Amino acid sequence: MTAPLQSDTVLLPERIANLLGLSGVLGDVVGGLLGAFLIANLLLVQTAVAGPWAKRKITAAFTDRIAVNRIGPFGLLIIVADAVRLLSKELVVPEHVDRPAWDLGPIVIPFSALLGFAVIPMGSGIHLADPETGLAFAFAAASIASLGLVMMGYASNNKYSLLGGLRAIAANLAYEIPLIITAASVVIFTGSLQMSEIVAAQTEPLLTVAGVTIPQWFAFVNPFAFVLFVVANLAEVGRNPFDIPEAPTEIVAGYQTEYSSVLFVLIYLGEFIHIFLGGAIAATLFLGGPAGPGPESLGFIWFVAKIWAFYFFTQWMRSAIPRLRVDQFLDVGWKGMLVLSFANLVLTAIIVGVIA
Amino acid sequence: MSLEEPRDQGTDAVATKPTTGDEIADLLGDLVVSREEHVNAPGFVIRPDTVQETLSRLRDEAGFDHLSCVTAEEYEDRYESIYHLTSYDDRTREASVVVPAAKDDPRSQSADAVFRTADWHEREAYDLVGIDYEEHPDLKRILLPDTWQGHPMSLDYDQDRPQVVTLKEWENPLADDHRENEGDTMYLNIGPHHPATHGVLHVKTVLDGEQVADVEPDIGYLHRCEEQMCQTKTYRHQIMPYPDRWDYASSGLLNEWAYARAAEDLNDIEVPEYAQIIRTMGAELCRIASHMLAVGTFALDVYGDFTAIFMYAMRDREIVQNILEDLTGQRMMFNYFRLGGVVWDLPEPRDEFFEKIRDFLDDLPGTLEEYHDLISSNEILQVRTIDTGVLPPEVAKSYGATGPVARASGIDYDLRRDDPYGYYDELDWDVVVEDGCDNYSRLLCRMREVEESAKIIQQCVDLLEDWPEDERTIQSNVPRTLRPEDDTEIYRAVEAAKGELGIYIRADGTDKPGRFKIRSPCFSNLQTLAEMSQGEYIPDMIASLGSLDIVLGEVDR
Repeated sequence: MTAPLQSDTVLLPERIANLLGLSGVLGDVVGGLLGAFLIANLLLVQTAVAGPWAKRKITAAFTDRIAVNRIGPFGLLIIVADAVRLLSKELVVPEHVDRPAWDLGPIVIPFSALLGFAVIPMGSGIHLADPETGLAFAFAAASIASLGLVMMGYASNNKYSLLGGLRAIAANLAYEIPLIITAASVVIFTGSLQMSEIVAAQTEPLLTVAGVTIPQWFAFVNPFAFVLFVVANLAEVGRNPFDIPEAPTEIVAGYQTEYSSVLFVLIYLGEFIHIFLGGAIAATLFLGGPAGPGPESLGFIWFVAKIWAFYFFTQWMRSAIPRLRVDQFLDVGWKGMLVLSFANLVLTAIIVGVIA
Repeated sequence: MSLEEPRDQGTDAVATKPTTGDEIADLLGDLVVSREEHVNAPGFVIRPDTVQETLSRLRDEAGFDHLSCVTAEEYEDRYESIYHLTSYDDRTREASVVVPAAKDDPRSQSADAVFRTADWHEREAYDLVGIDYEEHPDLKRILLPDTWQGHPMSLDYDQDRPQVVTLKEWENPLADDHRENEGDTMYLNIGPHHPATHGVLHVKTVLDGEQVADVEPDIGYLHRCEEQMCQTKTYRHQIMPYPDRWDYASSGLLNEWAYARAAEDLNDIEVPEYAQIIRTMGAELCRIASHMLAVGTFALDVYGDFTAIFMYAMRDREIVQNILEDLTGQRMMFNYFRLGGVVWDLPEPRDEFFEKIRDFLDDLPGTLEEYHDLISSNEILQVRTIDTGVLPPEVAKSYGATGPVARASGIDYDLRRDDPYGYYDELDWDVVVEDGCDNYSRLLCRMREVEESAKIIQQCVDLLEDWPEDERTIQSNVPRTLRPEDDTEIYRAVEAAKGELGIYIRADGTDKPGRFKIRSPCFSNLQTLAEMSQGEYIPDMIASLGSLDIVLGEVDR
């Protein structure tokens, strides 16, 4: 079955299969597994840099501090030290938690985010699968995380976790719809949900100013949709001003209150990969995916730069913007974002319909 | 309420409202059993079943609308509760209502119906001394655990006996058990270990969804017997280190002043002018440090995680802390005041010290501008704080709220102006009043007070710089041992960073206080939390708690 992989470009599993001299089903399976392994590792490495090191450094820069600088160059080896520290901590399992839901919740979160990356074209030929329904798949995979949040919230047998879980669901309901509706306005331009098509549609030049060609990235074509998408994305990944589900000063740590050691690491891992996934979808839809100056083989560098820019943006918000109250947060979602995203969708449809 | 008006009314009121002991006695008529004379105010002994009648008459007809403190004590022949009354309009009018209770069965009417603040004060009196307040809405222990045995400040208390029993032993096995009941509300324990309780505070919360249906702060986790410790130390030197440990979040000198003022007035000690200026300057530096911390932590409560504004506030507080370290030799536990002055003169070289303060004051307007950019003009913060945690002035008065909490509810009340001490009445500064009654006003009030404090410090530095070298008297002559006359009683308060910090001392003829009572501003302010957060969302309750700026060391003492 080659149905999900129907694309002109050569995808990563195929390359690996060709490299290994395998073909047929065996080639698909081995190539697919190795490709997935490679992509997962690329992301985990980035998460490792983002979590114990970059997050501290960025926050410190915003708050006039220095942060980790003792172990290794620029304190980078803190990543190793922290990995050892976090994994060697005692895993405290509170009484009366609802197992195995309690154990599964933290596993669902990072894997749902990783799954979303399967359809993201990362440039330099790193693209695992390119189904026709790529964009829908990415959103669907990312949404599985909500299930993990509910599981953790309910299974923890802790009122703070319950409140956090409920808030997380409320947040996802309120902001997932504007997020997808806004993404749909891009699909109106491209006429396809396929990720490679969406990226290809953005390669055309929009206009040329003083010799500099501005590509037809949808962020430039429809900046309003881009802003909407980034805001809804902030709520999706639960960062200020929308970090309601965790809200440390209100409900301690929300759904993750009762987790320690490995499970705690998994939750955090999941959150960071989710931020990257949010950045990746935003980059693919609005910033031309892996496009950038220079040869096409540099695509992956540009792609990483874009998702890190989004990561940096979330950390900036976290340091500088107050948190909304839960009711205000839902108001913004249901009464503001939803209306605006539908307005954007209808307007885009009319404009595209008139021009095309 | 504007800034000027109440003062005029106040001066009018003095003419018509009873102020002297005789006038008040006339007003109370038969209620007064006998008269006493306290150093600060006339005392009126009344029968224990006429507390409410007396207090409501004093409140409604004589304008004594501020129940500052309730002191309880056991004597050889009786128990006694003293209600320290004063007026928000004119702090110099004071009256003490003394309520004796029988030794074998100490019962006394509760004042809760007249002043809501009496609720906690009487619970504390019951807890520590053992007086039974009838008609009290919820008379139970407040500082000590429910399972405590005996009343530690009563005369027959035996410290060697086991003091706490297990909950099982204490619990009433026949009491109704509601745990299995169906209900629409959820009971949530916030604290004693929670990121937003500013210490070990336990807030018993009943939630209806995300909304707060009921709140009951549970305090006492940081109770360190500060009052009793002060009763075992001598006036002259041994008590002074303790005030630093009440409100330990950098308002040490303000606390020290509370004790110094009470003890100096009790012993008729004069403080040289030069020392008063140093005291004033040090106290205002402490107020800035304390308000910086309050603003930073409040922002932390509203913003979320570790944020820029918290670090900025800590950075600027650090500068103040360094100046205070130069002045006193310590960063937090200053122990700098002495009865009759301060322990040593300004650090040499003086020019360098003044330079340091002036640098700080020069940078301060820019710093505050930065704060206003970051917090008070942020729209999300405004949405979060304006019209949340509303505390109407009448409610604030009934709860005995003071300090920035009262002033942000439009109550023009500041002891530095209304009951002058130190060098404040010689200097040019204003009392900050905000009319919003909400969390935002309390934030603004603190930020503006920092500016006023800076003005005071500026003037103090100018004065100190020009002070003739041979007139730098830092202490007056104070006897080595102080033995105030037996049975003299005094209640004196100062304007600490959090509000009115009062000290009641009863001398017993020895060199140690017979009764030492601390009126903590945080204790009274914290009582308003329930009133402010009823029906609001959890985040607003947390923000209100932050805006009260409590320090648990002072609440629990």
